Amino acid sequence: VGFASIPSAIVVGVDGHRVAVEVHAATGIPGLTIVGLPDASCREARDRVRAAVLAGGGTWPSLRVTVNLAPSSTRKVGSALDLAIAVGVLLASGQLEPEVVRNLAFVGELGLDGTVRPVPGIVPIVDAIAVDEVVVPVGSATDAELVEGPKVRAVATLGELLAALRGDEPWPDHDRPPLPPVPGAALDLSEVRGQPVVRKALEIAAAGGHHLLMIGPPGAGKTMLASRLPGLLPELDRSSAMEVSRIHSAAGRSLRGGLIRRPPLRAPHHTATMVALIGGGTDAMRPGEVSMAHGGVLFLDELAEFPPTVLDALRQPLEEGVIRVNRARFSATLPARFLLVAAMNPCPCGEAGRPGACRCPDGVLVRYHRRLSGPLLDRFDLRVDVLRPEVEQLLGGEPGEGSMAVAARVAAARELAIGRGVLANAHLRGSELDRWAPVTDRAHDLLATTLRSGRLSARGLDRVRRVARTIADLAGHDGALTASHVGTALHLRADVRLGAGVVA
Amino acid sequence: VTATEGARATGLRREKAALIALASIEGIGPATLLACQAACGAADAWSSLQAGRGAEVEALVHAAALRWKREPEALARFRRDAAGMDADALLARHEAAGQRVLAIGEPTYPARLRDDHAAPAILFAEGSLDRLDDPTVAIVGTRNATRLGRETAASLAVELADRGVSVVSGLALGIDAAAHEAIASRSGGGAPIGAIATGLERAYPRRHQRLHRQVAEAGLLLSESPIGSEPSRWRFPARNRIIAALSDAVVVVESRSAGGSMLTAAEAVARDRPVLAVPGHPTSPASAGALDLIADGAIPVRDVTDVLVAIGCGGRHPIEERPDVADRPTVSGAAARVLEALDAGPRTLGELVLGGRMEIEGTSTVLVELEELGLVVRSGAWFERTGRPTGAARARPDR
Repeated sequence: VGFASIPSAIVVGVDGHRVAVEVHAATGIPGLTIVGLPDASCREARDRVRAAVLAGGGTWPSLRVTVNLAPSSTRKVGSALDLAIAVGVLLASGQLEPEVVRNLAFVGELGLDGTVRPVPGIVPIVDAIAVDEVVVPVGSATDAELVEGPKVRAVATLGELLAALRGDEPWPDHDRPPLPPVPGAALDLSEVRGQPVVRKALEIAAAGGHHLLMIGPPGAGKTMLASRLPGLLPELDRSSAMEVSRIHSAAGRSLRGGLIRRPPLRAPHHTATMVALIGGGTDAMRPGEVSMAHGGVLFLDELAEFPPTVLDALRQPLEEGVIRVNRARFSATLPARFLLVAAMNPCPCGEAGRPGACRCPDGVLVRYHRRLSGPLLDRFDLRVDVLRPEVEQLLGGEPGEGSMAVAARVAAARELAIGRGVLANAHLRGSELDRWAPVTDRAHDLLATTLRSGRLSARGLDRVRRVARTIADLAGHDGALTASHVGTALHLRADVRLGAGVVA
Repeated sequence: VTATEGARATGLRREKAALIALASIEGIGPATLLACQAACGAADAWSSLQAGRGAEVEALVHAAALRWKREPEALARFRRDAAGMDADALLARHEAAGQRVLAIGEPTYPARLRDDHAAPAILFAEGSLDRLDDPTVAIVGTRNATRLGRETAASLAVELADRGVSVVSGLALGIDAAAHEAIASRSGGGAPIGAIATGLERAYPRRHQRLHRQVAEAGLLLSESPIGSEPSRWRFPARNRIIAALSDAVVVVESRSAGGSMLTAAEAVARDRPVLAVPGHPTSPASAGALDLIADGAIPVRDVTDVLVAIGCGGRHPIEERPDVADRPTVSGAAARVLEALDAGPRTLGELVLGGRMEIEGTSTVLVELEELGLVVRSGAWFERTGRPTGAARARPDR
């Protein structure tokens, strides 16, 4: 009779959860049972482990082996526990001495030939492990080393691991050539011709963290503009980079040898399912696109084409910076603080509702705009029109200002926001606006007139002031907001629901 | 004598009831109605149809052939539709709804329509039919109008009404609504006369419900469609011929080249009524149709005098100078350049920035000033010129 308890971990949502793999071997009808709420992929470990142990030079005990995955009340998903189970079986059956695995944790999937395969979510998994050393697959080792914590041992096969544990061989030292960085990330703003207003809006969005809605016909360059936004954002600091990296690792992405420093851009298509966007789905609670965009930009092209349920689900992350996924057996809180950039066509005819020129029947416009709920539209502090650039600008126009120069102004503006105690002006609390965003008498009059005309709500007022603060910051103006700042903020906030020409 | 009159009144009621019933059948339009009425009287046509002898009525056969190619089937459909109808109840229903029902040929039928080659055989009215004795001018135009277009329509309507001219229009969005809204709540002077495509019980578009009631109360609301008629496509150009026939002249304020108002203008030409058009900027799509009309010989409208002259009322009412022209704030420099750009039509902030070669903040500041002066308004993402300052706002130096 033998017993072993091996530390390991699995990933749920974006968090690692510690799991103790308990193995009990006793006389009885030979066989392997796994208990402790394993899901299908986890239960299959039974067959993988047996083949791998044999391939790795061990023997399969003629004993009744029971594996318990503790705590047994939570569901275990995936194949990351294979290696720990194999080691536990070898230990419980007396093929390994308990001393050699003291203070060692094991993570990895096993192949039938004994190979140790990489697993998704290695960063949160290793982060959760509380012992001094962790054995991981070679393919996951680079990512695992990003975690400050346990010492990482990389193995390629179970046989190699057994040899090292028995002291027959030293720990293997696998060559891990650094992976080439992802190519083609450098999209520069100087490649955008014309479009002065949208460029400005991108700069303000980046500097102040204001959500941006671009309204324009197909071919106007909305996607091209949005994809240049991450390049304007400052690099992620160590703690946000770690957070973002954990999420991407949990989603099964290789980090390619380094923390994610650039703010990510995610652009899910409008046919993506609710689960793909929001997260959840399987028991593993995979992070969705909104979490993958954490710390970066979520770009939703054709906003009006997204199912209303998906758009409604965006409201929680927009407000709280997290998304809570609740299922019958599991719930997870996934980080989701992103800069939302959306694009939509103004109307089916493409004339952008230009008064006197748009050919769309009134009913079509109303139906089109009705697809967007008011509360969602209200989140967009910046709503600008993107028209197709004129031919002359495409051919003859001088290249615009490059991303570097803009990013420098953005960084300076973000510094100012940090001085006010927030990451960006968009997070300034309403009660602090009088302190940080006072207005001149003239700007006050302008706001009063606009409020009285009914085109601005009380909530909109605060939002306009935050945007105006960002505009002033970018211009290096640190006093009270002038009518020019407020006017620009108002003009960068088109009322989309008000289809042109239908102001009857 | 009384007996004869009584018999005549009964005959007229039967005729009206039959016309309403026929008009309620899908596939029978104004031309068929008029033909039925002219041939043997609508009452006979109706009883023939109900008795299954529709093939004996030439106009019905013609309509059936036009509509479905296969006459017998079409006639069978007409008959099926007719079978469930009670003509007298239909007439009673219209009267109970407060509508005047006017059949062509009866003395109260509007004189302006009586001799028209495409006169509606049956007409429903709410309001005061006397308004048709006033001089009338139709003000029509695009549904998707610019601010300037709506203002022009409104001020023309007011100035015409001031001089006792009633304004005919179709209660559509945009120009039509602007013209009528400007005069709907006035008393005295010219009144709004609306000719609509659906039955009188139904405002189309629905958001004109209030305007609809106002026009019926302040003036006159007319339609040739019985209660329950859907706003089918064909009814709108058909309605346009009534607008043209009711009016001494037709003014097109704004229209795209292929707009429905061009049909109204064509109907007016076919009736020898003068057509006028408000000239707009040559590059503005909203004015393209109006400019086409002027190129084809329509009279350009500079101000209300041109309209009054066209309907022969010009000499009687001297036009004083527009009082607000002198009051109008003048601007210069960047603001003047922005205004000039807006003369060619509505523009977005982006277009103004590019055109004006000025920074966004600068352009925005200018626009704020112009908005305060009431010279520019914003709708959605678009900036538009106004015809005249809207408020009492005056230029004020920045403190």
